[in-house]
Amino acid sequence: MGERQTYLWRILVTGTCFVLFGIGGLILGLLVFPALLLWPGDSRLRRARTRALVQRSFRLFVAVMSGLRGIGYEFEGRERLGRPGQLIVANHPTLVDVVFIVAFTPAPACVVKAALFANPFTRRVVQAAGYISNAPTDQMIEQSTAALKSGDCLVMFPEGTRTRPGQPRHFHRGAASVAVRGAAVLTPIYIRVDQPLLDKTQAWYQVPPRRPNIVLRVGDDIDLEPYRHLPSPRASRQLNAWLLEHYEQELERTAGYNESA
Amino acid sequence: MQTRDEVLEQVKAALVELFELEPDRIMPSARLNEDLEIDSIDAVDLMDRLRRQTGRKISAENFRSVRTVDDLVTAVHALVQA
Repeated sequence: MGERQTYLWRILVTGTCFVLFGIGGLILGLLVFPALLLWPGDSRLRRARTRALVQRSFRLFVAVMSGLRGIGYEFEGRERLGRPGQLIVANHPTLVDVVFIVAFTPAPACVVKAALFANPFTRRVVQAAGYISNAPTDQMIEQSTAALKSGDCLVMFPEGTRTRPGQPRHFHRGAASVAVRGAAVLTPIYIRVDQPLLDKTQAWYQVPPRRPNIVLRVGDDIDLEPYRHLPSPRASRQLNAWLLEHYEQELERTAGYNESA
Repeated sequence: MQTRDEVLEQVKAALVELFELEPDRIMPSARLNEDLEIDSIDAVDLMDRLRRQTGRKISAENFRSVRTVDDLVTAVHALVQA
């Protein structure tokens, strides 16, 4: 196919994926999860099952996106994801990065924006999976800490929303605060796309000129020991400042375009 | 039974220890957010600390209308009286 045809093809694939995502959310929420409730087990077991199912669905979604040649991806070090009490933090350059993280992390919990609990396509899924709303802040911190202490693996995006291209990166302190309060281990993922892809400023049909490639690299665990002996407000401020600086350095070393100023 | 002054001293001690504030800055009229730069995440830590200190169940609900150090002392005082 020529360049023009592949471009039009990718718009078609992208639109199809959005529709599939919405329909998938509805089918899971309206049919599959209620059916799962008929299975025996306590609430913890049920939630684990639901999360595992969300993970499988996202894995299928990744297979569709890449199989239809809408996107290419590399995911380095993913075998280190999904440990008990593990807090996973990631930068958030594109709408699709979260799909990859959930797809390749065994049964994770996620902190997601409150709007997903109101959206008809997503709200049953995020509820059934026991995901945590990012607002109000005090509740988010307490629920996230409790989830980690109970042995869940939790995914958070310290940027709070997708990166705004051309603006300095900013990390909210919530993730650092949760890390020092409740994480057994803190693991970063560095994410780069090779061109702007479904970022904060783009509509769904604004696909990149070439087939996009996303690189997700799982970094070494971050040593929380130096922060454990400080009062939490100081510990989280220091950790947050360190994380932000660390991310800028590590993203430099990851192939891709630099979206932040 | 604790007096209001005792509660004020406890609150001051908590603020100094957690946020390394100069004790002089902790005036009753000081606004937690604007003057003392205590944000919603700090508030969670502050509540934890006050919970341990007072042995009372303290929830975010008790502090929704708290803006100043004086408001905070009033809220904590009400809780330890209850």
